[in-house]
Amino acid sequence: MAGVTHRLEAHVLGEGDWIGATEICRLCWLDLGAVMELAELGVVAPRGTPPGEWQIPATALPRLRVIGRLMRDLGVNVSGAALALELLEARRQLERRIRALELLVSDH
Amino acid sequence: MEFRDYYKVLGVERAASADQIKAAYRRLARKYHPDVSKEPNAEARFKEMQEAYEVLKDPEKRAAYDELGANWKAGEQFRPPPDWGTGFEFSGGAGHAGGAGRAAGARRGAGRSGWSGAGAEDGAFAERDFSEFFSSLFGGGSPFARGGGGAARDHHARVGLELEETYRGTTRTLELRRPEVKPDGSVELRTHTVRVTIPPGVTEGQLIRLAGQGAPAAGRGQAGDLYLEVHVQPHRLFALEGRDVTLTFPVAPWEAALGASVTVPTLGGSVEMHIPAGAQSGQRLRLRGRGLPGQPPGDQYVQLKVVLPPASSPQAKALYEEMRGKLDFDPRANLSR
Repeated sequence: MAGVTHRLEAHVLGEGDWIGATEICRLCWLDLGAVMELAELGVVAPRGTPPGEWQIPATALPRLRVIGRLMRDLGVNVSGAALALELLEARRQLERRIRALELLVSDH
Repeated sequence: MEFRDYYKVLGVERAASADQIKAAYRRLARKYHPDVSKEPNAEARFKEMQEAYEVLKDPEKRAAYDELGANWKAGEQFRPPPDWGTGFEFSGGAGHAGGAGRAAGARRGAGRSGWSGAGAEDGAFAERDFSEFFSSLFGGGSPFARGGGGAARDHHARVGLELEETYRGTTRTLELRRPEVKPDGSVELRTHTVRVTIPPGVTEGQLIRLAGQGAPAAGRGQAGDLYLEVHVQPHRLFALEGRDVTLTFPVAPWEAALGASVTVPTLGGSVEMHIPAGAQSGQRLRLRGRGLPGQPPGDQYVQLKVVLPPASSPQAKALYEEMRGKLDFDPRANLSR
């Protein structure tokens, strides 16, 4: 059964937004212990204390969500997921460079 | 609806042990996980696997699924038996209606083509973008649905945008389906449509929050939020990195050698750019602030690609011969050092 159409303004979580540790955990399928470990590994740079009151920049969300999904779906631990994320990012960077070089030598 | 052979999806025998099922799921998940995989249709395959694993890892659901019999083939037309779910004891308490089936889908505005996909991807099984087959057997309203105690829940979906849309901003029409309990206690999926305005400058992986558009709480509690995760589609001309874009731009040898003023396409329209004399193939020039909007906006990089004119006419051949005779140029000078 279809209802009426509502018009909604989207709120983009980006530069300038800081998100509390509890919400980060909810949005990224992580527990607080994992977020603390990721801070130790330098993946996130939270502000404030204690960890339960941490504020984390929204720009970290895309990376944290990949880590959360890898942990949830593949059963890897925090450092394994962080390592996989770095390798995935390095792979993406190399793919971009290869693509740029291919365009330089291709006929099109 | 079509029958789904969950054993076939995971590539295991019907007699497989729980450990074998778990191992098969882990192996396939590593191969098809959308964050990792380069396989075609990885996302669709991964959802199939999640759905199959959701049933086969749970002894109650697996037993009930097995009761359907071994004669069903994947893709056959199927209807749940009328006495579905009776005769089982439920460890989590029957009758709780979790979110069922497809929580959110998105489509482009009317009259536009090339819709690129959005599906729910919550961690909680009942809110994942599972098939009608799964929903009819194990979703909300079925004896197997075990909700989260009626608490509000966030929903998550992916939304695919063209690069031009992220530059200018765009709108999306989303169809949200929510389970509602009818007076007789059964659960009905009610669809409502929302039109979302997405501002300019969103980037890959960024989250868009639509407050109050997630699953409602039981009673009169506040609903959860809907989060859209942005995925930018590859572009024919521009490569995106953060907010910066790179364009490979062909130039003639004399434009590179002598310098030239050229017209360069950008996301915001064409601009004039000066190529300095002595430019080389592969050299990158920057058009500041011509990437995606933001604080600060991204830049556009123009990677020069020197293209040789073919020596296909007598005049062209004559010019090449003249260069050979008159230019003191050894392209392999570095090799003889």
